[in-house]
Amino acid sequence: MGSYLIRRLLRTLLVMLGISLVVFVFVRSIPGDPAVAMLGERATPEAAAALREQLGLNKPWFFNPQNPLDAQYPKYVSALLQGDLGAGIKSNIPVKDDLGTRFPATAELSIAAMGFALLFGLPAGILAAIRRNSVWDNLATTISLVGVSMPVFWLGLLLSYFFAVKLGWLPPSARLGNETQIEPITGLYVLDSLLRGDLRAMWDAMRHLVLPAIALGSIPLAIVARITRSSLLDVLGQDYVRTARAKGLDFRAVNLKHALRNALLPVVTVVGLQAGALLGGAVLTETIFSWPGIGSWVYEAISQRDYPVIQGGVIFAALVVSIVNLLVDLSYAALDPRIQYR
Amino acid sequence: MKTFLLTAALLATLSTASAAGTLVYGANGDPVSLESGNITDGISILVQHQIYDTLIGFKPGTADLIPALATSWKANANATSWTFTLRKNVKFHDGTPFNADAVVFNLTRWWDKAHPYGFRAQGRTFEIVGDLLGGYKGDATSVIKNVVKVNDNTVRVDLNKPSSVFPDVIAAGYFGIASPTAIKKDGPKYGTPASKPIGTGPFVFQSWRTGDRVTLSANKGYWDGKPKVDTVVIRGIKDAAQRLNELKAGTIDFTSDLTPDTLKSVQADKNLVAVKKPSFNVGFLSLNNRNQYLKNQNVRKAVSMAINKKAIVDAFWNGLGTSNASFVPPVMNWANSKNVPADYKFDPAAAKKMLADAGYPNGFSIDLWYMPVSRPYFPNPKPIAEAIAADLSAIGIKVNLKTEDWAKYLEDRNKAPGFDMYMIGWTGDYGDPDNFYGAYYGPNGSSDIGWNSITVQNLLEQGRAATTKAAKAKVYAELHEFTYNATYRVPVVHSSPLAAQRSYVKGWIPSPLGSEAFNDISLVGKK
Repeated sequence: MGSYLIRRLLRTLLVMLGISLVVFVFVRSIPGDPAVAMLGERATPEAAAALREQLGLNKPWFFNPQNPLDAQYPKYVSALLQGDLGAGIKSNIPVKDDLGTRFPATAELSIAAMGFALLFGLPAGILAAIRRNSVWDNLATTISLVGVSMPVFWLGLLLSYFFAVKLGWLPPSARLGNETQIEPITGLYVLDSLLRGDLRAMWDAMRHLVLPAIALGSIPLAIVARITRSSLLDVLGQDYVRTARAKGLDFRAVNLKHALRNALLPVVTVVGLQAGALLGGAVLTETIFSWPGIGSWVYEAISQRDYPVIQGGVIFAALVVSIVNLLVDLSYAALDPRIQYR
Repeated sequence: MKTFLLTAALLATLSTASAAGTLVYGANGDPVSLESGNITDGISILVQHQIYDTLIGFKPGTADLIPALATSWKANANATSWTFTLRKNVKFHDGTPFNADAVVFNLTRWWDKAHPYGFRAQGRTFEIVGDLLGGYKGDATSVIKNVVKVNDNTVRVDLNKPSSVFPDVIAAGYFGIASPTAIKKDGPKYGTPASKPIGTGPFVFQSWRTGDRVTLSANKGYWDGKPKVDTVVIRGIKDAAQRLNELKAGTIDFTSDLTPDTLKSVQADKNLVAVKKPSFNVGFLSLNNRNQYLKNQNVRKAVSMAINKKAIVDAFWNGLGTSNASFVPPVMNWANSKNVPADYKFDPAAAKKMLADAGYPNGFSIDLWYMPVSRPYFPNPKPIAEAIAADLSAIGIKVNLKTEDWAKYLEDRNKAPGFDMYMIGWTGDYGDPDNFYGAYYGPNGSSDIGWNSITVQNLLEQGRAATTKAAKAKVYAELHEFTYNATYRVPVVHSSPLAAQRSYVKGWIPSPLGSEAFNDISLVGKK
């Protein structure tokens, strides 16, 4: 187990380096350059050229014959290995600083969205499987179909309009109200306010979390419900379940204890995959809900061709996905004793 | 658990009642930097307007100059040297005095690439100086020749060539005067969220949560009187529909850049007041001289005559825009020629005939590029482009609509041969026609249509050198006639961006220049 972990982590490091190269080349291959994007309507060729020079974007990518160390990628990687991701071209803010404030925002939202998806998706899937072909089953299937097909930005605006403007129950967007201040510890506001014992701020943070979490969680909810249903149906048809029933075990023991635990394996896989997808879904949700997370930040950077921000954001997102995948793999072993890592 | 929930619910009710002194603005995004002189985006300037003062200000709601940190300014006879008399007893938020040294520090920092506190090695660009003032110290094209401290309250700026617009330029929101002490203290961090931007302005910087909000508090010792609210929160809300939702829900007090089609929805809400901001922009169609058809002047005239601009503006701006035949917005009508019709003639039959006379009785096929992003002057470019295409097809010109990513669009339009026809626009920085004509017809601005006339260049020079308004009006009238007849750029609209406020917000006078300080705004009976 120990050596497996070390091997996995080393592999992750290699993957990260590979990704740094890919994203470096990739962002520079997108037509449209940062100087022009920064200057906007003012971008004349002369102004853009002057700005490119000031920003060092006119230097060769990989190798400068005059001065081998003065090329963009070698400089980037050597800084990266020292933990320096550079600073945003437009804002001059170190990418690391922005990641530090924005990642917790996305993490909090993703956790809430996944929590929402599991809280409603799992029971819906279980109910649909146990009461197969009943009204419940049809309802769950229909809802999950709607959940998958509804565009996130539309759902987000709709939720915001209905619950904030019409009913006035919840705030329409943002992470906190205008009067609430939270001194960050982890950056997860609900947790931080709890740690600081500020229940009022915690309530405010939770209220702001509800709508974006529902919007972002709608697709994973639908997927979790569907996978749970089909996986549980599979398991329920297996011999050992029939045996358990024949032995006279009660309904609850058969379905929940014997069958569900085995049915959860594919669900865990899906949850792991969805954790990656959440980062993607966060782009729209964060934009609609003015959520200062990583999704809206990288999205903006892409339209501005802000290379250091895109690179830093992508490398970091890749790291997070790798870690989640590792956790998923480890949890297999916990769920299914037949799986062992060496 | 029950007690906890009850307490939480009670606290929530308390927290929704906001203090009367907090003014919340919904901006359409996040500021980029709070360092003056080093940004060009509207939201950064809006936030900076609260923290910094410029040497010269604008009379509320207009582009007319009024004293700010400089109480007066005067040129020598041929406008090659400007002397600014500074306001006395003004202090920066950090308690250090505002004086000639501070002004010289700021001006040379932006202009001199060798300035020790310019932090150019850290990627600082101060691009707006290159843009509006011709270049940096040592450049042949630089407008500024020298910045001199005359005494503690007087600064003189010598210019390389006559410029009567220098005070207008230096009054633009980019050029807020910052505390030299703070810049030296924070170093390259100055202007980022990790620093404390210090000006003399009506509000003092408190905090900046990137991607979310900037919080400011009133500068109680402000030289122009204490601001009417205690706190200003500027929130970044990118989505226009969501900004309207926030306004309706009462979580923000006022906002700008709503889409024109939401005007009715704003008017229907009794808690809201629609605010039409004064127009200070132009959205236009550029016709490329490199295109084989468009290099013919009669073809260009036929194109301008075939487009029903008035109908398009009525349809897509919901009454929040005007159409005329001038590059400068209506507030600068004094710069327009009386010989040019108020609007382009819309006459498809005559256009068709003109096209036939030019040798194209059956028309031709051409590309029209529309912007992929919304801008105040073109809030929804695609349907506007479709309407233009429909008008042109009526005289036989078949239009292929094209677009691409904004960053690429901006780059490709300047490549030769570039776009045949394309939509673009301009929002003014300062109240002089030079800013509008110069941006597109100036020596740096013309590679997008492959036409850069000597006559236009000369007129622009003359306009900048003219020292009286009458002399200026004469030059720009001539420029207006010349460019109108050349028909390379067809102005489609001067739009009034839609803003809205809660009915308890009083005293907001939006500036035509895009943003203004919020110190005169009060909240009357906000709950």
